[in-house]
Amino acid sequence: MSKYSLTLLASLLASPIAMAEVVVIGHTAGPDSITQNQVRDIYLNRSQELPDGQKAKAFELPEGNGTRGEFHGKVTGRNDAQLKAFWSQQVFTGRGQPPEEHANAAAMKATVASTPGAIGYIDSADVDSSVKVILTP
Amino acid sequence: MKTYFRVAPLALAISAGGAVAQSNDEAVAQMQQQLNSMQQQLNSVKNDRVRFNGFFSTGYSRASNDVGFTGVSEDSSVGDQSLLALQGTFDVTEKSQAVMQLVGRGYEDWEPVIEWAYLSHRPTNNLQLRAGKMRLPFFMYSDSLEVGYSQPWARPPQSVYGPIESTSYVGADATYTINLDNSAITTQAFTGFNDQNTRSATTEFRNLIGSTVSWTDYLWTVRAVAVTTEATVEATRLAERAASFGIQLPPGTTTLADSDRANFFGVGFSYDDGTWQVISEVTRSEVDGRFTDTDSAYISAGRRFGSWTPYLAIGWSETQDDDERTGEFLPTVPEAILNTRRDEYSVGTRWDITPGVAIKMDVTHVRGFEDAPGGLNQDYVLVNEKNSTNVYTLKLDSAF
Repeated sequence: MSKYSLTLLASLLASPIAMAEVVVIGHTAGPDSITQNQVRDIYLNRSQELPDGQKAKAFELPEGNGTRGEFHGKVTGRNDAQLKAFWSQQVFTGRGQPPEEHANAAAMKATVASTPGAIGYIDSADVDSSVKVILTP
Repeated sequence: MKTYFRVAPLALAISAGGAVAQSNDEAVAQMQQQLNSMQQQLNSVKNDRVRFNGFFSTGYSRASNDVGFTGVSEDSSVGDQSLLALQGTFDVTEKSQAVMQLVGRGYEDWEPVIEWAYLSHRPTNNLQLRAGKMRLPFFMYSDSLEVGYSQPWARPPQSVYGPIESTSYVGADATYTINLDNSAITTQAFTGFNDQNTRSATTEFRNLIGSTVSWTDYLWTVRAVAVTTEATVEATRLAERAASFGIQLPPGTTTLADSDRANFFGVGFSYDDGTWQVISEVTRSEVDGRFTDTDSAYISAGRRFGSWTPYLAIGWSETQDDDERTGEFLPTVPEAILNTRRDEYSVGTRWDITPGVAIKMDVTHVRGFEDAPGGLNQDYVLVNEKNSTNVYTLKLDSAF
């Protein structure tokens, strides 16, 4: 009984960290780490390169998604409306296209796992061995 | 035809079933593989190779009189403020793209015009080469001139964006970006030519050469531009207005510039920390001969309150070579009617209803043009002795 409650206590303590923290993930053959500024530059169309020189391919979760909000709050500092205005300017000046969107963490993970040069973000609770965590912003 | 397609696989399946029963598993595996690669190809076509985007604006503007600031008078229509654009981006290779943008404007009876049509190639992460039809990069917002959704205002400040109506050119450019630790320097060189019919003139630019340099730390942006060309300007609106009064102008009267040297210089800065947005540009255009040399400037400041972004803007524009226009087009029409001077004051707000759609409200007060009403309805201003006008605008901008 005491062993059981101890486990419960441990999981309760661990849960705030494990549950709601966004992590940046990459393809398993990609670089092991990346800086927050490099991630920001890729997501704001300032760079198309990963730290190892590969062409970066970024992916997003849909507008209104909580993990997306957390990621952009920490990394780019822009909300959905600001991102939309920013990308409309990039698209219609021929500078680039916004990252492709995936409906949920599972789809994001599957695409990052199968796309060389891929970079994405999911909740740390959704991470498994198919992708690797390269930054915790 | 339909039946044939339905029956054919069935027939194939039956004949295959008898003959190669043994390699069934192998065949299934092979088919599975083919299906997978087809699916992959299909996905890559759908996701990467071709993308379509568009933007749309509509709205209503009305002025307090017929001074004609930015073409708005007392009876304007919704069509005047409306436009719809579609853009296709085609990935030719990993490093090359073809981009085409079609714009239909209400005031041109929605006839689609190609604004962009170019090939771009990115040999390295830092270098981009483009060739085709592109926007003339005179101003900070030239590239997204008509993309209302990407701008804070109901319309770009006319003091700076108004006097030059030529917006595109055919040619080539090279853009080189140096990424520093937390900032970037971008240098662009371009060359080409322009032939355009604008609201008030037909213009020709030959041997156009220019360069822009900008530096940004993603909070502040500073930009400088210099352009030189040989310009020919035929004042078609002047000719039309004369004709509407039954005046037949002698040949050459409305040729304001004829392969004359024209130079353009501009500096600008912007600041955007996510809450405050401050933008300013100062420009000078010089054309040899009687065509106007104009200095212009504006500064605007906006602040975001959630989905609302109210802004204030002031602008000024003045011709610098009034002493060169001493002659007359006709006995009663002096060249001095091209002289321009005015002050503009705008107050407005942007309201982001949802990502992709914004509504803008704007009131612009223009004054100080009574002695130099160039670019406005000169005869109306002079005959009615008008010295100010108000333009009220309600606009919806969308990008999709």
